[in-house]
Amino acid sequence: MTTLDAAAASSATPSATTPVAPAPARRRRRSVEGRPRIAVAFTALFFVVLYLPIVVVVLFSFNSRKSLSSFESFSTRWYVQFFNDDALLSSLRASLVISGVAMVGSLILGTMLALALERVSSRPSRILGTTALVPLVTPEIVTGVAALLLFTGLGIKLSLMTVIIAEITFSISYVAVIVRGRLSAMSDDVEEAARDLGCTPFQAVRLVILPAILPALVASGLLVFALVFDDFVLAFFTTGVDPQPLPVRIYSQIRLSISPAINAVGTCMMLVSILLIAFSLVVPRLFGRRDSGLDLISGG
Amino acid sequence: MTHPASGTPVPDDVAIRLVGLTKRFGGTTVVDHLDLDIRKGEFFSLLGPSGCGKTTTLRMIAGFSDATEGSVVLGGTDVTSVPPHKRNVNTVFQSYALFEHLDVAGNVGFGLRRKGLDKAEIARRVTEMLELVELGARSKSKPRELSGGQKQRVALARALVNRPEVLLLDEPLAALDLKLRRQMQVELKNIQREVGITFVFVTHDQDEALTMSDRVAIMNSGVIEQCGTPEDVYERPRTAFAAGFIGTSNLMTGTYSGGELTLAPGITVPLPGHPDLVDGSTTSIAVRPEKIWMYEFEPAMVRIAGTVVATVYHGATTQYLVDVAPDVRVTVLEQNLVRSRNEDRWADGDSIELGWQPDHAVVIH
Repeated sequence: MTTLDAAAASSATPSATTPVAPAPARRRRRSVEGRPRIAVAFTALFFVVLYLPIVVVVLFSFNSRKSLSSFESFSTRWYVQFFNDDALLSSLRASLVISGVAMVGSLILGTMLALALERVSSRPSRILGTTALVPLVTPEIVTGVAALLLFTGLGIKLSLMTVIIAEITFSISYVAVIVRGRLSAMSDDVEEAARDLGCTPFQAVRLVILPAILPALVASGLLVFALVFDDFVLAFFTTGVDPQPLPVRIYSQIRLSISPAINAVGTCMMLVSILLIAFSLVVPRLFGRRDSGLDLISGG
Repeated sequence: MTHPASGTPVPDDVAIRLVGLTKRFGGTTVVDHLDLDIRKGEFFSLLGPSGCGKTTTLRMIAGFSDATEGSVVLGGTDVTSVPPHKRNVNTVFQSYALFEHLDVAGNVGFGLRRKGLDKAEIARRVTEMLELVELGARSKSKPRELSGGQKQRVALARALVNRPEVLLLDEPLAALDLKLRRQMQVELKNIQREVGITFVFVTHDQDEALTMSDRVAIMNSGVIEQCGTPEDVYERPRTAFAAGFIGTSNLMTGTYSGGELTLAPGITVPLPGHPDLVDGSTTSIAVRPEKIWMYEFEPAMVRIAGTVVATVYHGATTQYLVDVAPDVRVTVLEQNLVRSRNEDRWADGDSIELGWQPDHAVVIH
């Protein structure tokens, strides 16, 4: 936009004063309508590299043959196989439960953490605030091994519950960081205004703070759901035998033999992600806001 | 005046009484033993530079900040330990602090809904209040769709609709441009007259305080330097700070002796009518620039010689800087009534005489 405006301005100004203007002409040759060709090419390459593997997965999930290298004809046999595979289905259910519960749990705890960190502006709070970020940069394998050692050390039997607990501790940071960003952009006066107008401290949070940070809640909720849904490392270390989370199940199946049914599973998982994105775009509008939760993740 | 002894019963016409109100943050005292009575229906301003404690005082009245010592008495009841949501005061914030997720009507009706009024009553009062602030047509707008002036009015309406005993305003006009600010000053004053609610207005803008207030308290370093009507504090400043903070003032310091103030060896200013001053004491007087005459003196005026060092033409007025003694420079403001053209005014280097009515020289304590 800015480049276009600048180009328009630079071509308009000389025509008003002198008919011949060599400088804007040179400028125009370098960029077609303000976009350099090399940037267009790089952008195209970026999207190809990003999405080609996914396109291949989706394509071969509809392959009628077992081959993973040549496409024969359209068929839904792998989807049929997937939806008749009880082990895979129970893993899908387990993954959905883990993601859902971890999302709700980390939203509650992460928001509370963000509120607390934002409220106290002392030195200990700043140190705590930085500490809350550590899980974001800790290698997941470290968290995974630590969680496994903790659970076995405490004699807790590995199950869906242990996966959920591990995923929540891992996800709290994401929620806290995103929600805190939104909170710090909000004037402190807003909470005081609520108190001034008759809210108890709790009502101020419920009636004013939470609606104001709703986009951040949607954004971090989605992010956590997506991260946990396809998380392999933590799930691998903390899961019990049955049911296993979907990524762990896929991994153990691939070790035996690579079935195109995995492509169908992958396509289904991607569908979940797309639905989540659509959901995040729609929900804020239902509440009459123009800003969506995704803006917070993408920085738009 | 406004320094009630603690313990005396609060008269009916007092809306807020502050008794020895003190706020300390760590080792620093921000508000220092403030004693103040604000009367019902009064437009009262707390005026002072930033950091003088005026906003902290307001926050203690609202309940957002706990008093370290002393008490806040609201309508005869001690509310020092009452949380903000139970105090019958409302605040207009400098940042407006509107709720972005609610529309204008939702914002204005927020306090009434908390009070549990029925829907019809809320709708009626919100409409009425939006009419008062001339925003009847914008009731369905979101705050982000409004201009600064409109947000300001919503913030005002949101507070006023609750009919508080006292409305607290924390520099509500600071974010507006000059023209809009002037307009809002007049409107705010009119609205205050119309609703008859006590307004406590915090500002650092002396013009604002003078033009809008019934009474002004000038604060500095946590204490009230002077409290009185705008005319009181302007015409009869009691401290050097008060004289300097409101308008410009010519402060002249010298040794008092027998009805004269000696500014420098051989240079004296007559200072009649102050039998209370002790001979030999160091005394300061303040004279407002517009009270100093440069010609056509009246018989009762005191006079002093000086030299013009600078002339600044302002259109309606001309400002002169005049040296009356070494290190004593006086500002004189002259209305351009007669001598409007450049050749008629004093020029730099002219030796002239200044004069003022004896009672326009205010002795500073």
